[in-house]
Amino acid sequence: MILPAALFLAVFVAWPLVQFIGNSFYHYNPIGDGPHTFVGFSNYVQAFTSPAFANSAWRTVAYTVIVVFFEFALGLIVALLFTALGDRSRVFRTIFLYPLMIAPIVAGLLWRFLLIDNSGIVNQLLYEAHLTSSPDQIQWLSDPNIALFAVALPDIWLTTSFISLVLFAGLQNIPADVIEAARIDGAGYPTLLFQVVIPLLRPVIAVALIVRGVDAARAFDVIVVQTQGGPQNSTETMSLLVYNTQISDGNPGLASAMGTIYLLVMMIVAVIAVLAIWRPGSDRA
Amino acid sequence: MNGLESRRAGSRSILWAVLIILVIIYAFPFVYMLFTSFKTPIETNAIPPTILPNTWTIQNYVTALNTQGVLTSFLNSIQTAVLSTVISLMLAIPAAYAVTRFRTRLGRVFILVALVMRMVPAIVVGAPLISLFHSVGLSDTSLALAIAQATVSLPLSIWLMASFFEAVPDDLEEAARIDGCSRLGSLWRVVLPVTRGGVAVAAIFAFLASWNDFIFALLLTSVRAVTTPLEIANFQSQFGLDWGSMTSLAVLYSIPVILLTLILQRHIVAGLTLGAVKG
Repeated sequence: MILPAALFLAVFVAWPLVQFIGNSFYHYNPIGDGPHTFVGFSNYVQAFTSPAFANSAWRTVAYTVIVVFFEFALGLIVALLFTALGDRSRVFRTIFLYPLMIAPIVAGLLWRFLLIDNSGIVNQLLYEAHLTSSPDQIQWLSDPNIALFAVALPDIWLTTSFISLVLFAGLQNIPADVIEAARIDGAGYPTLLFQVVIPLLRPVIAVALIVRGVDAARAFDVIVVQTQGGPQNSTETMSLLVYNTQISDGNPGLASAMGTIYLLVMMIVAVIAVLAIWRPGSDRA
Repeated sequence: MNGLESRRAGSRSILWAVLIILVIIYAFPFVYMLFTSFKTPIETNAIPPTILPNTWTIQNYVTALNTQGVLTSFLNSIQTAVLSTVISLMLAIPAAYAVTRFRTRLGRVFILVALVMRMVPAIVVGAPLISLFHSVGLSDTSLALAIAQATVSLPLSIWLMASFFEAVPDDLEEAARIDGCSRLGSLWRVVLPVTRGGVAVAAIFAFLASWNDFIFALLLTSVRAVTTPLEIANFQSQFGLDWGSMTSLAVLYSIPVILLTLILQRHIVAGLTLGAVKG
């Protein structure tokens, strides 16, 4: 009964993967039936020696760290608020859920609109709150120094809800007597939080961070509709670099080599993470 | 109720205030998009920007829906999402059932491999899929797009269904088997009816994965099978920056899934928090 699903994944994921990796050893033009020249590892050499590749790798790491850090910090605060306020916060939990259902591309375009330099509402509100001296002081998406942070905003907005929900569910499962015991020992809220609650939530936190980390490292839609990798490539993460090399530069060989390295790193990180945290089909499942 | 609730009235009101401010900030982007979609084109680009429209108009909606290809794209989105959900569930249910019931080593390896495949970047699979679908004559069809999107939702569906099947006691099935039910028969007549909620969860996520997909649609469709996310993105390149039409189409496209969230909130929360909390 596993066979149909296994075949499907073999044909539509594994086989394309093999082809993709195979392409990385050739140099060819994607348009027309040009010659496929076998070039060995030269695409890999080119990838590893290209500054664009190294920069993009760091940007991907930075983007992932920014997204996961803010989502976790905000998500934990919100989950603790929901828990502290108990059942009557249910309506707010529903409102908090909605961005999760919105298409990343809609979120990306929406935030691009909110962050437009001179007529965006975010800059206008910052100006009216006297936090900035003019409405175009912060060039969110056109200043290369902050653009990577600005493109991460819609991603943070979309999925902080996921982290809060998961953490909220985890918080509900903490046994009351553990909390009670800590309180009797005279623990204040900060001690309770850092010494008892967070250690107990560790597995839940780990799963949430891994799921989000992998997704952030693959982010494409949100970034491409905001900046297409610009300004000055400052938001060109790995997915965009592979896409741009493949489609815009028309160099599928090099794109495949870059993609293969990217994929291998992701796989290694993912396998370690999955093995360490979730053991499928075991008694704990 | 486990002692993490705040008990003092004073601190509770402060916490309420903080929560309400956070929720307003969180809800603001979509509300602002909604208001913008009812503004006139001049007001949309006004400096300084307004929050509420000065004059309410549905002109943007009329323009967006009359744009060539938009209505077709809606139908395509629905068709693709339904196809993709069906493919994903039809493959996931038997696989998840076999993994949880037979508990073989192979089954464990399979579910692990499937999970790892979920982590493959779409751009890596997408590019070779273009030529694969081209060679079998499925270029630019909803079926091809639905299949590509199912590669993302299938691992998640298998994982979710396996967790739900795990919770069905073996005794329930044994009773059916003693009464002469085959394995498939007991899956269909006993296990699936008691895991209806789980099937709903897997279906919602498969549907959303397709409905909200952009990259596969970008790579695999050109004219006939174009879905609405591509049309939404087109408003920014084709006609300069037509925020009015873009926001109105984005609102129309988001409303079905937001309603879905409200109606099926419990199921969605259950699905999102499942594996994570049990692990």
